[in-house]
Amino acid sequence: MELKICHMYPDVLNLYGDRGNVMCMTKRLQWRGIEASVTKLPIGAEKSLAGFDLVFIGGGQDFEQQVLLEDLHRGKDREIIAAIEDGVTFLTICGGFQMLGSYYETYDGKRCDFIGALDLYTVGSKTRMIGNYKFQCGPDAGGSVVVGFENHSGKTRLGSGVKPLGTVLAGYGNNGEDKTEGVHYKNVFGTYSHGPLLPKNPAFCDFMLKTALARKYGRAELAPLDDKAELFAHDEMCAKL
Amino acid sequence: MNLRAILAILLCKALRLVSRLLHRGGTAMPGRWALKVCPDLLELLAKDVKSVAITGTNGKTTSSRMIEQAFSEKGLNYFANRSGANLISGITTEFVMNAGLTGRPRKEYAVIECDEAAARKVFSQLKPKVVVVTNLFRDQLDRYGEVTHTLENIRVAMQGAPEAVLCLNADCSLTASLADDLPNKVVYFGIDRGAAPSRPKPEISDATHCIRCKTEYEYDYISYGHLGGFRCPKCGYRRRKADFAVTDITEQRPDGSTVVMDIQGEKRIVNVNLPAMYNIYNAVGAVTAAVEMGLDADTAVKALADFRCGFGRMEQFSLGKGGTRMMLVKNPAGCNQVIEFLENIKEKFILVVCLNDRGADGTDVSWIWDADFEGLTTLGGYLDRVIVSGDRAGDMRVRIKYAGIPDEHISMQRNYEELVRWIGQQDMPVFIMPTYTAMLELRQVVIRHCGGADFWE
Repeated sequence: MELKICHMYPDVLNLYGDRGNVMCMTKRLQWRGIEASVTKLPIGAEKSLAGFDLVFIGGGQDFEQQVLLEDLHRGKDREIIAAIEDGVTFLTICGGFQMLGSYYETYDGKRCDFIGALDLYTVGSKTRMIGNYKFQCGPDAGGSVVVGFENHSGKTRLGSGVKPLGTVLAGYGNNGEDKTEGVHYKNVFGTYSHGPLLPKNPAFCDFMLKTALARKYGRAELAPLDDKAELFAHDEMCAKL
Repeated sequence: MNLRAILAILLCKALRLVSRLLHRGGTAMPGRWALKVCPDLLELLAKDVKSVAITGTNGKTTSSRMIEQAFSEKGLNYFANRSGANLISGITTEFVMNAGLTGRPRKEYAVIECDEAAARKVFSQLKPKVVVVTNLFRDQLDRYGEVTHTLENIRVAMQGAPEAVLCLNADCSLTASLADDLPNKVVYFGIDRGAAPSRPKPEISDATHCIRCKTEYEYDYISYGHLGGFRCPKCGYRRRKADFAVTDITEQRPDGSTVVMDIQGEKRIVNVNLPAMYNIYNAVGAVTAAVEMGLDADTAVKALADFRCGFGRMEQFSLGKGGTRMMLVKNPAGCNQVIEFLENIKEKFILVVCLNDRGADGTDVSWIWDADFEGLTTLGGYLDRVIVSGDRAGDMRVRIKYAGIPDEHISMQRNYEELVRWIGQQDMPVFIMPTYTAMLELRQVVIRHCGGADFWE
């Protein structure tokens, strides 16, 4: 068995240790004897998304956003939409999560069109939502409790076409108001959780890997691993929040 | 001096005396109150003092100490905010303590380390004669925000000090861009192509795209991180020639480096009594500042050989048979440099990584995943084991595990007393990588076991 992982824009979307998610997926597959290949798709890469089982998009700085959007609007946006509808597993964090929505409106009313793959939008606010937080994934997203670190000023609102990834137990989540966190649509998982997300949340990582394996091989079994270290870090932060 | 200022000075001195009697450092608090009484106190006190200010992401403290060493060897009458109290409050305390009751300065010179975010407030009052910007890297994003934001802060800060000579790291595309919109005289320091190691482009760079036109940079060489011979293929923005340049690195040892410096056209062999690449940058930056402050190059260079590090920056302790070195880490770039330094160790050693997430460390520990701990797996078998410690020891353990160190070679010890006692019993050298607040606490315990100076001394 093998999963082909695509890391989109590692050159500019790499702000908060998000590459740790790719390392984590890779290792957890390899430890189980499943092959994992990672292809990096930097800005300007001509390669298409066809053939990938899992796409990862992280968060980045405002500085490179314009360069990024230009690249997306050169055709990557349509490819991402097609892959999502085709059931490819996506993990998108913070900026990468916002980017899948229809737009971002800055605090002073400037609107920036995103790719509109998912029914959500983000509006900038004056205050930043920063800190450790935790949320409980919905039942069809595995149901595990996830701990992470959020740092965003954008408030994301979900439309009726998508579900939240989870419910906030401590912290802000999508907007600090409606207790929703992230987005879950088909096999797309979007979240504000840095930390990075996966290493400390092995249950969620494995759930997500299974969606990709199930799509490719029709079945998804993952042998248990020794997660002592991961669960220690997870449980300790969980208890603090 | 007006009455308000004199009142503020009295208050500041009294508060400092009280905190010292209570065995607290009292570095920032007295100045904070004094500034409440007299908001322009620093400006009044700094008026007749010639200061050099050091800011930037990494290397502020070490560069400041190197400059200080040169001042001291030259016999200059100076003071410095040594203890890392580098916000306006701490700097003001230092100026008050080095002035009489009427605000008359007791010293002619000052070496002032300044936090990047505090520079806006500090520079307009301090009016430094020379400013050094060491480099800019992503750092504690929850506190400083994006690196371009920090750059903007320094740019605005410099507008408050138009007379200052600005010493910039030529190899840092972010730092060097400060020259564009400022009227200041600019002097560049850097590591030339011939001296830079031929490192591959790192996976994560903090400045991939041109600060002017957002086109991807091309590089002739990279010394570390995003530092090196950058050029923009579109708008032509590129590394400028360094006036103070390291043209060759003759030797890198576990305890120091020998380099060749071209100082304004004259070549010298320079011993830097502190290991690692980033300290070569600190060294050439310090020489630049010292010369721009009016010192002769001979004194500036000699100071680097005599220099002894302190305060957790590659600081050496006689703890354990093989000795212990403490190497403060704060962000991915600095952390990578420390990991790279470990490549020079050719005997079995123990690594202790101590991760905290308090205010001064940055509350977001995700940066440890941007640092290349993978480098620990290619140290040729010299790394005996890793001990994780600190408030976020659990996160560090996971990071090290995913870097490829087997979990059975990683252990956790959070009790500093026990940890230090254990280190004291080891035969092999121990290297400790603590974050800032972990360093403060752990260092106190180490000092109690084997001696050393209190942090404000």
